[in-house]
Amino acid sequence: MNARPPDPRDAPFADSGQVLRRLLGLARGHRGWMAAGAALALLSTLSGIGLLAVSGHFITSMALAGASGAAINYYTPAALIRLLAILRTGGRYAERLITHEATLRVLARLRIWLFGRLVPLAPAGLGGLRSAELFSRLRADVDALEHAYLGVLIPLLVALVVTGIVLATALLYLPVLALWLLLPIGLGGVLLPRWAMKKGAAPGATVVECAETLRTLAADGLRGRAELALYGTESAHAERIAAATIRLQQARRQTNRLEAISGAGVALAAQLAVVGVLVFGLPALHTATLAPPDLTMLVLLAMAAFDAIAPLPEAWAQLGATMASARRVFALADTPPPVIEPQAPSPVVHDDGLSIRRLRLSYGALEPWVLDGVDLDLPQGHRLAVVGPSGAGKSSLVGALLRLYPYQGSITLGGTPLDTWQGDDVRARIAVVDQQPYLFDASLRNNLCIARPDATDEQLKKVIVQAQLDGYVASLPQGLDTWVGENGVRVSGGEARRIAIARALLADAPILVLDEPTEGLDAGTAAQLYQALAAAMAGRSVLLITHRLGGLSTLVDEVATMRHGRIIECVPTAVYLGVFSGAERASAASPAGQVTGI
Amino acid sequence: MAISPTAWLREQSHPVRRLLTAGIAAGAAQAVLMCGGAWLVAHVLAEAIFAGRRLGELWPALAALPLLAAARFALTLLQRQVTFEAGARVSASVRSTLEERMRRLGPRWAAQQSSGDMVTRLVDGVDALIPYYAGYLPQVALAALIPAVILLVVLVADPWSALVLLLTAPLIPLFMVLVGRAAEQASQRRWLRLRRMGARFMDALSGLTTLRLCRATAREQALLEATGEAYRQETMAVLRIAFLSALVLEFFATVSIAVLAVLIGFRLMWGTLAFGPGLFVLLLAPELFMPLRALGTQRHRRMEAAAAAEDLIALLAVPAEEAAVAAGPSPQVFAAAGIGIALEQVSFGYTSDRQVLHDLELSVEAGTRLTVVGASGSGKSTLLHLLMGFAVPQSGRILINGEDLTTLALASWRRHIAWVPQRVHVFQGTLRDNLLIAAPQADARQLERAVQAAALVPVIARLRQGLDTPLGEHGQGLSGGERQRLALARAWLRDAPLLLLDEPTQHLDAATAAVIDGALAKLAEGRTVIRIAHRLDTIAADEQVAVMADGCIVEAGTASVLRASHGAFARLLAADRAA
Repeated sequence: MNARPPDPRDAPFADSGQVLRRLLGLARGHRGWMAAGAALALLSTLSGIGLLAVSGHFITSMALAGASGAAINYYTPAALIRLLAILRTGGRYAERLITHEATLRVLARLRIWLFGRLVPLAPAGLGGLRSAELFSRLRADVDALEHAYLGVLIPLLVALVVTGIVLATALLYLPVLALWLLLPIGLGGVLLPRWAMKKGAAPGATVVECAETLRTLAADGLRGRAELALYGTESAHAERIAAATIRLQQARRQTNRLEAISGAGVALAAQLAVVGVLVFGLPALHTATLAPPDLTMLVLLAMAAFDAIAPLPEAWAQLGATMASARRVFALADTPPPVIEPQAPSPVVHDDGLSIRRLRLSYGALEPWVLDGVDLDLPQGHRLAVVGPSGAGKSSLVGALLRLYPYQGSITLGGTPLDTWQGDDVRARIAVVDQQPYLFDASLRNNLCIARPDATDEQLKKVIVQAQLDGYVASLPQGLDTWVGENGVRVSGGEARRIAIARALLADAPILVLDEPTEGLDAGTAAQLYQALAAAMAGRSVLLITHRLGGLSTLVDEVATMRHGRIIECVPTAVYLGVFSGAERASAASPAGQVTGI
Repeated sequence: MAISPTAWLREQSHPVRRLLTAGIAAGAAQAVLMCGGAWLVAHVLAEAIFAGRRLGELWPALAALPLLAAARFALTLLQRQVTFEAGARVSASVRSTLEERMRRLGPRWAAQQSSGDMVTRLVDGVDALIPYYAGYLPQVALAALIPAVILLVVLVADPWSALVLLLTAPLIPLFMVLVGRAAEQASQRRWLRLRRMGARFMDALSGLTTLRLCRATAREQALLEATGEAYRQETMAVLRIAFLSALVLEFFATVSIAVLAVLIGFRLMWGTLAFGPGLFVLLLAPELFMPLRALGTQRHRRMEAAAAAEDLIALLAVPAEEAAVAAGPSPQVFAAAGIGIALEQVSFGYTSDRQVLHDLELSVEAGTRLTVVGASGSGKSTLLHLLMGFAVPQSGRILINGEDLTTLALASWRRHIAWVPQRVHVFQGTLRDNLLIAAPQADARQLERAVQAAALVPVIARLRQGLDTPLGEHGQGLSGGERQRLALARAWLRDAPLLLLDEPTQHLDAATAAVIDGALAKLAEGRTVIRIAHRLDTIAADEQVAVMADGCIVEAGTASVLRASHGAFARLLAADRAA
């Protein structure tokens, strides 16, 4: 065997019991629905099998009666046939409704649970989810868990019970037959599908890998199209796509073949079962240990039982995938929250001064210190800018202040240590304009009102003007009801930034933190924005993080320069702007340096 | 007029018609063998029960049963194999058509796309086509063919039973159409709903940090719960209708078996029917409805394929800019050591009412340098795109050493260009692959020289596997400055007479910036250089500058002269200082 990374499919059932129990635990409260659905599924499947078996018995008895001229009670079997037909039809419909009801209930619960578990993790504990790939995997995992009940649990349960009943019936009429039937049922329902799964692990992994390759190639083809065109490598790129497609399809061909084998294997097994019934039944018939109607019934019973076996190959395949998904989801949900909320309620203070001493922060045990001994004061009502080159740790400061990341050293708010505060109470006092503001798939109004759902139209209007967003809103045909976000209109970086500013202003907090608020804005708009913010925040504190120095004097009183995770200097704005002349200033704040020569 | 997704999907099946036909034939042959097997079982039972035959006398029939089953097994495999092949071929051909399309649409279009969405369309969308041809389409034919075969067989075995089946079976498609219309819409709505519910959840997760910052997580959780509940109720209302079509099918399938069994039973008792044919018909009855049921389970494949097809049709219908591939009538191979460029009254726009460039006049002598400045949106990048042949001017001419660009073979023209873009794309692959993409034929010495010149040596030293370190999304990331050096090294490897530079606005630290500037200066020696400058304080006094505004050159001359002249350049400079 060549070495390959451990695949969950190789040893899929090591801790399966535990994972399954946990999954079922999540469904607490809806177990009644789940049990009812399973019972109905069983009822309708058994009715279908019973219908055929009883029909076989019935026509043989009738034929024998016809041949011998004996009297026969045909009312009971005919009524039974009608009853089974009704149970089958109605049961199937009810089963579908109930199982879907159960699925939807469990699914809603699962999502709410997962959401609740992920909240304290954002953003520090969810670092990995920033990548689109991991995010879409989480989506697929949640989807797979949705199908656990309908696609895995019910078919396995029904197949198990049906097998038990069929074997018991066989045992009753012809014990040796029960033994024989175990063979095709085990073969078609368990051995062959499991064999196919095992064989399919390698091509399955290749399929995933090739799809991933195709995804990156497609992304390369979009984002790198200019390079491809200019370098004349578009044909080579197309060839790479074709080659990956061929590999993908070769692997798919194998998995398709394995699926076909296990699917057709069930039909083959059903035929083997029928042959078995005949081979063992005919001598018994001859020695009169088995009545003719019973033999016909057993033949049809064996045949119909495989209706319950047929979904098994699919269910086994799903089971492996579900287990892998569940394990990943649980692992994510079990991540310990990076910031532990205190048990006691937040202290009551009447001052909103912030004081930071010897603050250190890193993004992991082995990562370097991003903040390495920051000392900074922001008394109530003061306005301070933090400037410095990118990577100096400016944004990390925000993460620590808002209790999103754990830190060392001390931060006090109103004279009380920040780590005695509930995170939400801190964030009630500090409104923030994130560097990457997220726009939800909702109307512009809803996006603005997140921090304050009860905002009035006047309040909205006010912050829109303050955030220099009035012109933009006026340009939208549907105004505030315009849909933004993933399925909405495109919003440029500068517009998104201003929406975030309006959002933060609406929160009406005593402290406002702005992380690069003018990114993507032209110089004129930026200057107006600063003026409006200065007016809006009168008497309240502002912490402005930026690398652009233009217009600073309108908004802030002091400028702190940050470098290598430390504040190296904190001076009044006028002094800061006065001391540095053009070129030096450029290299201090945003050192693109003097580019000369070409 | 846009073609409907279903029609488009059917159209794609033309080249693989033979494969599909073979698959359908295998499916039908399988049904015939199934009838044979059923007949054998009925025959054996009839002979054993009513003629008292023993196992020893009936063994040939019993031996034939596993053989028939094995043949059915083989036919099923064959059917799955050829229909899969049909799907695979269609999807491969659609994929290459799309790639060809991407090529025609060119870099300017590609840059405007949201890549996540487009990648999903190009990869998952195209893959969703396979099950349609491998499963759904053959099943449509089999759902008509197999019941017909079975009906025919039953007709021979027992005409009365055939009549019962004939009465119920045709009603199924009829009812399916009646209920199906509503059910199809309902199930489409259900699918959409489930997707929307999932999308809403994922949206909340994507914005989790923002929700926390706005203290809205508890509210969002309650909202998710409430919408989940509302979705459940609405979905169930939809499902109650959607499942009706299945109920109708189930009802007819079950009732016709029950009716057949009872009728056969009584006719057997009356002696008007032999046991063999009676049992044979009873064995066949459930099989009649099997293909229809299978079609029901394939329906979602059609829906998924149709949804994917809709996206793909839209993509294939995007009008291509008169772009890259449109070379002149007799493209000449172009070769020159020095490149002189002149633009004569060049106009260009995405749409006729939105001109990005109009009547642009520009001339750059071979071996000289020009720096282009201007506010964002003034058309600077478009100018470079036109020069690289990513788009063709709507009017006016671009002359390369006096020859019209549209008469040149684009590929040979592009070989004369080295480009340092603003945003450098790092391809999936190793650092070496990423360098060699600019010059696949470069030897080790040339590679080393480029690496040296672009100051990539410390970067390579940092990477664990040096030049062979995988980069891109799955590999190691490169910082902004490192990407710039990569682009420089590519330009170096290119060794082309025309150098197009789109300066990064990204903020590099001073040391890196100095290194890159030095490398750029060295690279520029002896070449024609057109540089877009975003930071005006980086422009030296003696540089030739052209100022762009609203799609044309409004000012040109030496930087020092323009600085003093209180014109457009001076205004830009003032705005830049203020920001």
